Amino acid sequence: MKRYVLEIVVIGMLMGLGLQNGRAQDVAAVQQEVKALKPGLSRFLLRGYAHSGFERYEKDNSFVGGSFNPIFLWQQSDRLLFEGELEVKLDHGSTTIGLEYANMSYILNKRMIIRVGKFLIPFGIFSDRLHPRWINRLPSNPLGFDHGEQVGPAAALGAEIRGGAPLGASKINYSVYLINGPSLNDGRENPQEGGRLHFDNYEDNNTNKAIGGRFGFLPFSNSSLELGVSAQFAKVGDENTAYRDIGARLFALDLSLVKTIAPLKGIVDVKAQYTMTQVDDAQYVDPENPGQAYTFKNENVAYFVRGTFKPAFVSNTVIQKLEFAGRYSVLTLAEGAAWGGEKRQWAFSLNYWLDWRTVVKFSYQYTNSPGAEEAEAVHEEEGTPLGGAFLVHWSFGF
Amino acid sequence: MNKHKILAGLLILVVVLVTGWVIGCASNKALVTEKSGAQLWGENCVRCHNAPSPPAFNDYQWETIAVHMRVRASLTEEEVQKIVEFLKMAN
Repeated sequence: MKRYVLEIVVIGMLMGLGLQNGRAQDVAAVQQEVKALKPGLSRFLLRGYAHSGFERYEKDNSFVGGSFNPIFLWQQSDRLLFEGELEVKLDHGSTTIGLEYANMSYILNKRMIIRVGKFLIPFGIFSDRLHPRWINRLPSNPLGFDHGEQVGPAAALGAEIRGGAPLGASKINYSVYLINGPSLNDGRENPQEGGRLHFDNYEDNNTNKAIGGRFGFLPFSNSSLELGVSAQFAKVGDENTAYRDIGARLFALDLSLVKTIAPLKGIVDVKAQYTMTQVDDAQYVDPENPGQAYTFKNENVAYFVRGTFKPAFVSNTVIQKLEFAGRYSVLTLAEGAAWGGEKRQWAFSLNYWLDWRTVVKFSYQYTNSPGAEEAEAVHEEEGTPLGGAFLVHWSFGF
Repeated sequence: MNKHKILAGLLILVVVLVTGWVIGCASNKALVTEKSGAQLWGENCVRCHNAPSPPAFNDYQWETIAVHMRVRASLTEEEVQKIVEFLKMAN
């Protein structure tokens, strides 16, 4: 009997050892598998956004192809990041691919990051932070922030130092940069454009570089309010021409207020930006009288105020996903210039958020130009068409 | 253009007055060190877009996104570290 008991005990011990050994081998195998899946210091992430929709103007309506914007993030280490964004766009029947930005950031210390390459300029807040279609609460950009009627830079080639820091219970952020800067169209090839600033100066037209920056202040400890001021200074004329010493000064003020309003069970979000550019006086070919010159005060202004309300805390699951947006924007281009003029726009949108980064926008906007005889109701090559328009867009962030 | 200069001047004046007022009267003066990652996530992410859902990405993806947002939104290092820890815990 004792012998059987001893045998049973020995067999039991051996089985236990075997089970333990098997479990240890299982754990080791799982650990190895987990280790193989764990990313190294080099990490790649694909993000981005896309949008499409339907637009109806007074005499024209169409489904629009929108755009697809992949964002490539490559994190080389804890301090080194590459970001690049393409815009693949279907526009008037053709596909265009543009490089929105491509730059490298290196975290120097807790308060300072250096960035080089093509980057979104922190001039105000719209181009730098609010332009992605799933972040912009309306289907269109404010007046003055589209190609063709742009006041102020969006992206540029250069180098930048930026960062953020606490200031007691408040906070600041800053950016200082050196870039190629805007270039002046002197009108020699196209007199209609004489005096306009172009911001796609990717091969610098002169030896001067633009210097600029933005300072942001968040006075409340909950970061609900941000006030920003931006400036940029540059010589903008082509080298070896009579315009080489023409200078430009660009200024912007911006405001952001995001606040939960408990009695309304929702979130109010207000954004505003005022942008002004000044170019030194110069003579340009008069497009109305070739062979003669004309001049004008070259000051351009664009501003907008946008408000949204999202009843995010109501109990109804449909209403809590709605958002009401309204925006007023004004564009004033140099009075007296061949390309001068003024536009004003009211835009409203009812948005439905499918999730935190996917939205359908139902919008109406009305654009007028004081002094214009009648509204232009077809898509223009550049600039926002006048008159009323219905736009339904879906925007998808990923 | 004079009306635009007047408007710009008024905006600057409003900014200065509001800034001075809030510095003097702001009652909630909690420092970043006193705030949780969830609180910082709720306060900072909504400044531009809706607050991201933590399960949307895994831990490693959040770490890369956090670096990207630190650069793009000029968040402080302290804020980013706390927000990332919250997102990794909550995803």
